[in-house]
Amino acid sequence: MSLVAEAFVSQIAAAEPWPENATLYQQLKGEQILLSDNAASLAVQAFLQMCNLPIKVVCRANAEYMSPSGKVPFIHVGNQVVSELGPIVQFVKAKGHSLSDGLDEVQKAEMKAYMELVNNMLLTAELYLQWCDEATVGEITHARYGSPYPWPLNHILAYQKQWEIKRKMKAIGWGKKTLDQVLEDVDQCCQALSQRLGTQPYFFNKQPTELDALVFGHLYTILTTQLTNDELSEKVKNYSNLLAFCRRIEQHYFEDRGKDRLS
Amino acid sequence: IVSQPAKILNFLRKQKYNADYELSAKQGADTLAYIALLEEKLLPAVLHTFWVESDNYFTVTKPWFASQIPFPLSLILPGRMSRGALNRILLTRGQPPLYHLREVEAQIYRDAKECLNLLSNRLGTSQFFFGNTPSTLDAYVFGFLAPLYKVRFPKIQLQEHLKQLSNLCRFCDDILSSYFRISLGGISPAGQDMVDANLQKLTQLVNKESNLIEKMDDNLRQSPQLPPRKLPTLKLTPAEEENNSFQRLSP
Repeated sequence: MSLVAEAFVSQIAAAEPWPENATLYQQLKGEQILLSDNAASLAVQAFLQMCNLPIKVVCRANAEYMSPSGKVPFIHVGNQVVSELGPIVQFVKAKGHSLSDGLDEVQKAEMKAYMELVNNMLLTAELYLQWCDEATVGEITHARYGSPYPWPLNHILAYQKQWEIKRKMKAIGWGKKTLDQVLEDVDQCCQALSQRLGTQPYFFNKQPTELDALVFGHLYTILTTQLTNDELSEKVKNYSNLLAFCRRIEQHYFEDRGKDRLS
Repeated sequence: IVSQPAKILNFLRKQKYNADYELSAKQGADTLAYIALLEEKLLPAVLHTFWVESDNYFTVTKPWFASQIPFPLSLILPGRMSRGALNRILLTRGQPPLYHLREVEAQIYRDAKECLNLLSNRLGTSQFFFGNTPSTLDAYVFGFLAPLYKVRFPKIQLQEHLKQLSNLCRFCDDILSSYFRISLGGISPAGQDMVDANLQKLTQLVNKESNLIEKMDDNLRQSPQLPPRKLPTLKLTPAEEENNSFQRLSP
């Protein structure tokens, strides 16, 4: 978006408070959604929970196509549609809620750097595993991705998406990597996150920030998704403070609130 | 033969050359995070400035590369690298709602400027990123910033922005004068020894980085107690240096 358009959107965003009927769209939870999309969606949900903003999750088969940027999840607030964690954080900030206001400049730089690390390594590794590893592709991804559509559309869409992701991997230099190298990268990333977290409850001590939401989204999804092999979740399980971190956020933000909302 | 910065750094680390002895675990983690930030935010704009922006490409980058590569390749390789750079930028950044190349360009330059600001905030007034001794992160950042800072381009918006961040300029100048005996007028093009078809322009930066890291490590090894202040400056002729380093490292 050009600068003018962005300023315009923030103005509109700032004008109204957060409505009660904000909705988050993602793909079908049981049959269609994939690892990386689930991670992104969970990150956004965690972030909104941390900001205390009510959100309803709606599952649609064509969520990917509804989204303005082609990526899930996206939120529909008032008469605006915003997709992906980065723009959503900015949008929420324009409405006056922010988790990272208490950080100084150096900490903000660190937070952005760590978010890029997660996006660069964890997300790319998840995409690689889903789309470039033949075993997973054959057994899980193809079947899930095309499940809401009739034959032959389901095959065509799955192949198209796979081709697109493979092109992207090649462009950034991951095309030639083997699965072991990818897992090693994931391990390095988790090690960095674990070292940064140390013994603190959240990444920037007492208060959770969008970095915590993002890390939680990815790690929780990796830990709880069943794939053809468990190596990815094993890598994460090596770091006990990351496991404790996920459990803490889950208990604090999802179980307590969940009880209120389900009733 | 080892190519690409991350692999070279890993290779050197396995050979027991490491500039990060004095970093804590957290700083090591920060290094990885900042490297990811650089690759994600700064690299597309740097690639664009060098390889896609037509004024820059045709007047500086192409003749520069072509002069170092033997004849038939000099016609093919730069074009291929330029297309590869454009491809990478479009595939990673060119998704909707950005439909036009101009919008993608605007976005990546904006990201790059933000990234430079973040680096400047992080560096503050200290000499290197983690105190007074250089580390891998300093080498990496230097590798990105120095060409941006020094090479004379016709279209220079990113360079202008960098020049306004005085602490980053001071950082580059410090490293250039301590580790490379190069006059601050311009950079001499490093020799292209690797004829890898998937070579990116970072090869040049990588040469500088690996030289820098080796020298830092040598110095650190020789004086383990004191952080070295006055470093013996080595006379650099890049091609020879590269040959020497490879002979030393290969088993």
